[in-house]
Amino acid sequence: MAMSSKESATALKRTVIIAIFAAVAVVLSIVEAQIPLAGMGLMPGAKLGFANIMILTCIFFLRGRDAFVLVILKTLLTAFLLGTFSSLLFSLFGSLLSFVVMFLLVRFGRKKLSVIGISIAGGLAHNTGQLLAASMVFNSTSILYYLPVLLVTGIVTGILVGFAVRYLVASLSKISLFEEFLN
Amino acid sequence: MKRADVLLISIVLIAALAFLVPRWLGDDKGGPGKNLVANITVDGKLFKTVQLTKEEQTIEIRTDRGYNILKVHDYGIEMYDADCPDKVCLGFGKITQPKQTIVCLPHRVLVEIAGTSGGDEIDGYVQ
Repeated sequence: MAMSSKESATALKRTVIIAIFAAVAVVLSIVEAQIPLAGMGLMPGAKLGFANIMILTCIFFLRGRDAFVLVILKTLLTAFLLGTFSSLLFSLFGSLLSFVVMFLLVRFGRKKLSVIGISIAGGLAHNTGQLLAASMVFNSTSILYYLPVLLVTGIVTGILVGFAVRYLVASLSKISLFEEFLN
Repeated sequence: MKRADVLLISIVLIAALAFLVPRWLGDDKGGPGKNLVANITVDGKLFKTVQLTKEEQTIEIRTDRGYNILKVHDYGIEMYDADCPDKVCLGFGKITQPKQTIVCLPHRVLVEIAGTSGGDEIDGYVQ
């Protein structure tokens, strides 16, 4: 497949943006893994989901398949670095469900929902997806006991992530690397 | 924030609270005389059912994946030790109320508290 130099420059820019976003998302995941949420009465293993900032921002600038690559990269790299391979399947399930929900809302629900609403929906999809995957593996619905609490915390972190994305998109739009991806 | 955002937040909050409020108000506390049991399942199959007693009991689960050590004491059960990589299961602490669970995803171990075994509740109150 022959590409003009302009096309290949765009492709290169996309690759660079995905790489930078993946690096930032992994760092955010590592930082939040150090926060002892279980000590605050939450379900152990619960995360703040700050890596979602990068994924939602990516959905805004790039194409769906680019954001999809970012989700896979972030999940695999985090599992490598934190050694949480045993739960890779669960985080992948949650991340992918969250990605699909956010992608559809950004493409088709922008008129109704703001960034904050989309971020909340993504966070809720992530929590629900993980618990559903776990309940399928255990063949038991008792793990859904934690769903109501996770829904409430998902709203709170979703609002925080949403505000971060709003400021990040505004700031990145001023950088020349992102110029041609504005829409 | 748009109107749909507020609507989304309200609906989810109401749904979550509908489950949480009865749980807070409900008289579902464990303790003496409740005769609660914990069902321990490994890989979806029942491994053991233990009575939650005041006296200490230790339950050891050894599978190809590794070991989990559970301790029963003071009408509750807790994950005492495990060699799973993430140690998330140790973070659940001691659980004492029906429907509460401890999960060890890497080892596929699930502990769930249930009411009296066999549904023969009257037996529980014989002095």
